[in-house]
Amino acid sequence: MTNLTERIMTDADDMANNNGRRRMWMMFSGIGIVIMSGAITGILSQRGAKGDGPLTSPDVAILGLFAAVILVLAFVIWRLFQQTQQSGERVPRREKLNNRIIWGCGIFGGIIGLVLTLTDNMGTANEPSLFASGPISPVLAVILAGAIGVVLPAITFYWHKHVVDEQEDAAYRAGALIAIYAFWFIAPVWWFLWRGGILPSPNGVALYFMTAFIALIVWFWKKYR
Amino acid sequence: MKNQLKVLRAMRNWSQADLAEHLDVSRQAVNAIETGKYDPSLPLAFKISRLFALPIEEIFDDEFNGAHND
Repeated sequence: MTNLTERIMTDADDMANNNGRRRMWMMFSGIGIVIMSGAITGILSQRGAKGDGPLTSPDVAILGLFAAVILVLAFVIWRLFQQTQQSGERVPRREKLNNRIIWGCGIFGGIIGLVLTLTDNMGTANEPSLFASGPISPVLAVILAGAIGVVLPAITFYWHKHVVDEQEDAAYRAGALIAIYAFWFIAPVWWFLWRGGILPSPNGVALYFMTAFIALIVWFWKKYR
Repeated sequence: MKNQLKVLRAMRNWSQADLAEHLDVSRQAVNAIETGKYDPSLPLAFKISRLFALPIEEIFDDEFNGAHND
């Protein structure tokens, strides 16, 4: 009886763990699609800027390869989503809300990333999209600022009020603490090394992403390890 | 902190998701508490205690042996 009970319990928990992994791979595949789309627009815009003629066979092969990778990644997302649906896993209320918001924010972030990548590649920016600081149209600037400054705080407020439980809250606090210490130490170190002529001038965008990345890694580790 | 959560859950034939639903937390929170990676707050500990109808000290063991280091 005990063995049977433990087996049933373990199977349900294993299934949930597998779905967690599936969701992680769906997320990575989505990021891969955004990167591949950026690479395709990058190649096309570079050719356009150089005034090159029609696409050569190697160009077509490379673009075809990137397009094939996008299709494969889209198929992977579709299959993993199907498997998650078919597993019949019981999902607690908070996790259902959590999954919906993560999907929503993922699509929202993906669209913003894609718009920025396309805008940067169609323009003259030569920097990677995250660090690009070239001009964008005022309309696009207002839309993106509104998305980050109004929509995202509202979602975040709802998230912390209705989705985050105390264990995840502790994970957020640990991530925020380590990230703010990292910022406090790394920013002046970079500043001194710049003054000493060893590093280029401190980059605010790089520091922003570094801080956010550290907070994210610590949160992920504390929540899912 | 060591605890009996996994045993108590098994006795009721509950998965981690079932217990998470009862406690209104995520499955990751149940897993973190069971494996001793996260110690629940006092309100959550009381909730667990009421759910299993057991005193907190019968579920959680802080390994205090009575010795003081004054």
